[in-house]
Amino acid sequence: MAAASGLGGSSRSKALELLRTLPRVSLGNLRPNDGARHREKRRGRGRYGGRKSGRGHKGQRQRGTRPRLGFEGGQTPFYLVIPKYGYNEGHSLRRQYHPLSLKRLQYLIDLGRVDPTQPLDLTQLVNARGVTIQPLKRDYGVQLVEEGADNFAAKINIEVQMASELAIAAVEKNGGVITTAFYDPRSLGVLCKPVLFFLRGQPIPKRMLPPEDLVRYYTDPMNRGYLANPSKIPKARLELAKKYGYVLPDITKDELFQMLSTRKDPRQIFFGLAPGWVVNMSEKKILKPTDEKLLKYYSS
Amino acid sequence: MAAAVARCEAAAFLGRWRLLLGGARAYNARPLRRRLGGVYIPDPSNPRTPEWQLQPAFEAKLYGRHGAASGVDPARLWPTPQQLAEIEAEERELWPALRDMEAALDVKEREAETKRRQREELIAARMAKMPQMIADWRREKEERKAKEHEEKERRQRLLAEARERFGHNLDHRSPQFQELMQEMEKARRKELKQQKKQRREEALAKKAAEAAAAAQLPAVEEEAEVETSLSQTT
Repeated sequence: MAAASGLGGSSRSKALELLRTLPRVSLGNLRPNDGARHREKRRGRGRYGGRKSGRGHKGQRQRGTRPRLGFEGGQTPFYLVIPKYGYNEGHSLRRQYHPLSLKRLQYLIDLGRVDPTQPLDLTQLVNARGVTIQPLKRDYGVQLVEEGADNFAAKINIEVQMASELAIAAVEKNGGVITTAFYDPRSLGVLCKPVLFFLRGQPIPKRMLPPEDLVRYYTDPMNRGYLANPSKIPKARLELAKKYGYVLPDITKDELFQMLSTRKDPRQIFFGLAPGWVVNMSEKKILKPTDEKLLKYYSS
Repeated sequence: MAAAVARCEAAAFLGRWRLLLGGARAYNARPLRRRLGGVYIPDPSNPRTPEWQLQPAFEAKLYGRHGAASGVDPARLWPTPQQLAEIEAEERELWPALRDMEAALDVKEREAETKRRQREELIAARMAKMPQMIADWRREKEERKAKEHEEKERRQRLLAEARERFGHNLDHRSPQFQELMQEMEKARRKELKQQKKQRREEALAKKAAEAAAAAQLPAVEEEAEVETSLSQTT
């Protein structure tokens, strides 16, 4: 359509000229469209083909009249005999969180694949090939699990999507900081593959809020949720230390305090980059919007 | 060739040195593909240009890849006011505010709590009735058992009586036994009637005696009254 309009007046006169010179459309010069007809398959020709044509000897097998799948010759079939129960109800819609064990995290740190002197989030873990996240396969991030909690010995500032209580305790026992944060699928894709996203030339989106059933999890200081009241988190840290019986290191006197206290805004996806900014890789430039409406939208 | 190998070795050495210092392997994105033909900019007047290359998303992509060399105005990378209004409207519809979600959750939890409490109260109330119900059921069972026992004994007795009278064992369905039963029933009724009559007579006699006693009493009471008035005057 666009091409026809782009050609302008000359093409129209050319088409009219063609119509004038071509014969009339009649039954004599009509034929089916290309690809509308298939040649009929002719069985049993050529060498060795004249016998059974690879379909075996007689019966439903040769004649292609087999009963439908699951049919057991009239007996109540298996798929109807076994009662069904909703164990797998909605399995295609459930959120998935890949496990990341403390053992594996320690391994990644020991090999220098992630840098514990910088805040860790999904970008670092994915770049280190520590986890593979597929947002289109209903992945919503990683969960920190407690395997290797006894041997974990790194001081880190990590952000995961879910964490077990013992995993939180193991990180905090070493003087680290842990936050659980939600990323909607779009933000998750941006976070996991930042370079591909920057090459798209789009402004960084703002992170969306969690769905209603996750609100309680992320507003709970016991889970170190990113929406929890920050003033309640120190108390929760102390409580956990009391429960597991370790002395909580004072991170305010730590030399890495600056790094350990880095947190993202609930609307922020990358550390140090605000929503609404455009990152240009080829020019090594960051473009920031100045329009007030845009600023208001991206900051809300 | 030799120079390339030497460069590789130097890079490996540098990487190892950084690791030894306790750092981490830095992640470096692959360098962008070199395009010798310069920047490809789709020509809208060419009919062979695919439609998707004329969309704003492709423009943004060109800018993302080539920067200012793509000739795209960076202001076009952000949504226009109309698009922004649409996006905002959509977000208002699809993503409720945190406060709203928390309020909705509070309501839901409160409802669930009241429902649970009501159910627990109902269970507690019914459980409180339970010991009494069990006791009643036990008593009823005992009574039923005793009654059955009595009935059985009575039948045995009757059969024994019939045997005494006829001199041989009788079936309880036999007409002779039935006759005997009717006879005995009649006798029992007669006796009951008589007893009733006797009781009524006794009751009547008692009433008459009481009436007689009441007729005598008032005179005595009058005398007593006179005595009390006398004592008050003195």
